[in-house]
Amino acid sequence: MEYDLKAMALEIEAIEERTNRLKELARGFEAVEKNAEVILTFVYLLKKNVSDVVE
Amino acid sequence: MKREENKYWNPVIETLPREKLTEIELKRFRETLRWAKEGSPFYKKKLRGIEPEDIRTLEDVARVPMTEKDELREAQEGKGLPLYGDLLAVPPEKLSVFHQTSGTTGKPVFFPDTYESWQLVVDIWCYILYAAGFRSTDRVFLPFVYNVYIAFWQGHYAAEKLGCEVVPGGGLETKARLQKMKDVQATALMNTPTYGLHMLEVAKEMGMDPKRDLGIRKMICAGEPMPEPSRLRLEEGWGAEVYDHIGGTEPGGWAGMCSQKKGMHVIEPYFLFEMVDLETVSKPIPSGVKGVAVITPLCRRCIPLIRFNLKDIMTKRDDPCPCGRTSVRVDQIGGRVDDLRKIRGVFFSPNMVEEVIRAQFPEVVEFETLLTQEGVMPVLTLKVELAPSVDESQRMEMKNRIREKLKIRTNLTFQVEFVKPGGLPRYSLKSARFKDMTRR
Repeated sequence: MEYDLKAMALEIEAIEERTNRLKELARGFEAVEKNAEVILTFVYLLKKNVSDVVE
Repeated sequence: MKREENKYWNPVIETLPREKLTEIELKRFRETLRWAKEGSPFYKKKLRGIEPEDIRTLEDVARVPMTEKDELREAQEGKGLPLYGDLLAVPPEKLSVFHQTSGTTGKPVFFPDTYESWQLVVDIWCYILYAAGFRSTDRVFLPFVYNVYIAFWQGHYAAEKLGCEVVPGGGLETKARLQKMKDVQATALMNTPTYGLHMLEVAKEMGMDPKRDLGIRKMICAGEPMPEPSRLRLEEGWGAEVYDHIGGTEPGGWAGMCSQKKGMHVIEPYFLFEMVDLETVSKPIPSGVKGVAVITPLCRRCIPLIRFNLKDIMTKRDDPCPCGRTSVRVDQIGGRVDDLRKIRGVFFSPNMVEEVIRAQFPEVVEFETLLTQEGVMPVLTLKVELAPSVDESQRMEMKNRIREKLKIRTNLTFQVEFVKPGGLPRYSLKSARFKDMTRR
C-alpha cells in the first residue's frame, strides 16, 4: 500500500506548531502545559516514524 | 486494509532499501554525537576532537571511540544527586523513569529516562511485539516482578500501546500466576526463557498441561540468551509460538524475531548496529563471522550511548528475510564476552552446555555449571537436577551420556553430579547457571 508521506509530514508539522502555540498560551497552567508536552513527545515519535524518511 | 492483517508496525521504515536505512542512521548518528557533546560533560570530554560533521560513512563511525559499561559505572561512582554523574544530557528535572542494571558484572548502573525517551523505547518495543504477532485482540499476561530492573516494563507499555489488554502478574507465586492465566484466558506471555520452563515444571506439579489447559498462543522472551533448543522446548511445552528479542537496560530493546524465527531483526534506523572482532574488539567484521555486538541508540535523548560495547557474542546476517523486513538480522546470542573462558586451550561459553542439555536431555529440569580449580587444573562440573520420573537405574547411563555429549560439543571433560529435586535455584529474571569459582 502506498502512503502519502509528504502529506503526513506536513500534518505532523502542523500539530507541532499548534501544540507549541497552546503551550505558550498555557504558561504556568500545568494541566494544559504538561498535556501539551505529552502531545509534543508523540509528535517527536511521529517525526521519527515518518518525517525523517521524507527528508 | 484491516488492522489485524498488517504485517508491519511501520510498513514504510521496515521495508526501506538498505542504502536509505544507512543514510538515515548516519544522519541520526551525527545528531546523536552533536547532542551528546553539547549536553553530557562525560561525552564532551570523551569525544574531544571528533566533529559530528566529519562522520559521513560507516568507516568514519568505526573511528569514534566505543563506550564501555565500566565507564558508565565509574562516571556514577560515589556521585550525589542526581546520581548519574556526568552522563546526563538533559536537565535532571526532565527525568521521569528510573531503572538500573542487574549488577551481574559489577556495581549496578543507574539508568533514567525522560518521558520522551521512555515513550521512544516503548515505541521501539511496539516494532518488536508487532513482528512477534502481538495484536490488539491479545490479552497479555506478564509474570514478572515489577521493580527497578527494566525487564518487561517496556513490553508492558508497548502491549498497552498496541491495544492489547495487559494483565500485570507481579506479586504472585508461580502457581497463582498459572491459575490467573487460566482464569483470565490470557493469549500471550512475556517472560525469561528460564521462567517459561520453570512454569512448565510447576504446571505439571499442579496437574495442568499448559498446551491443553491454557490458551497461550504466543510468547516473547527476554533477559537472557535463549539457545534454539530452549526455544523449541518452550514451543512444545506451551503449544505457543515463541519469539526471542534482545535488549538491555542501557540500549533498551533493540532486536526481535519475526514470524520466520531465523535470527532477530535490528530495529533500524533507531539503532546503528556494528560487529567487531572477538580478539581485539575493535576491527569491523563481515556478516557470517562470530564477533562482539556494538550498538548506538539513535533517538533516545537522555543518557547518550555512543558505540556501546554490549559484550554479547553473536553473528550478523544480511541474507534477505522472507518477511520483507530489510533490517539486518543477528543470530541468537552465543554467549557473553564476560562468560567466555579459555580452558585447557579451548574457548568455552556456558551457552554450549545449555544447547546440549535443552536439545538432548528433556529429563533435566535444571542445571548449573561450576568452574573450579584443582591445583593448576581447571575443573568443569555440571550439577544436574532430574525429573522425578527418572529412576535410579537410569542415572549412571545418563551421566555417561551427558558427559559424552558435552565432550563432543565443547571438547572438554565435565564431571557430572546429580542433585536432589529442588536442589538448584530457579530464576524468574536473569539466570545465573554458570559460576566461576576461580575468580572469587
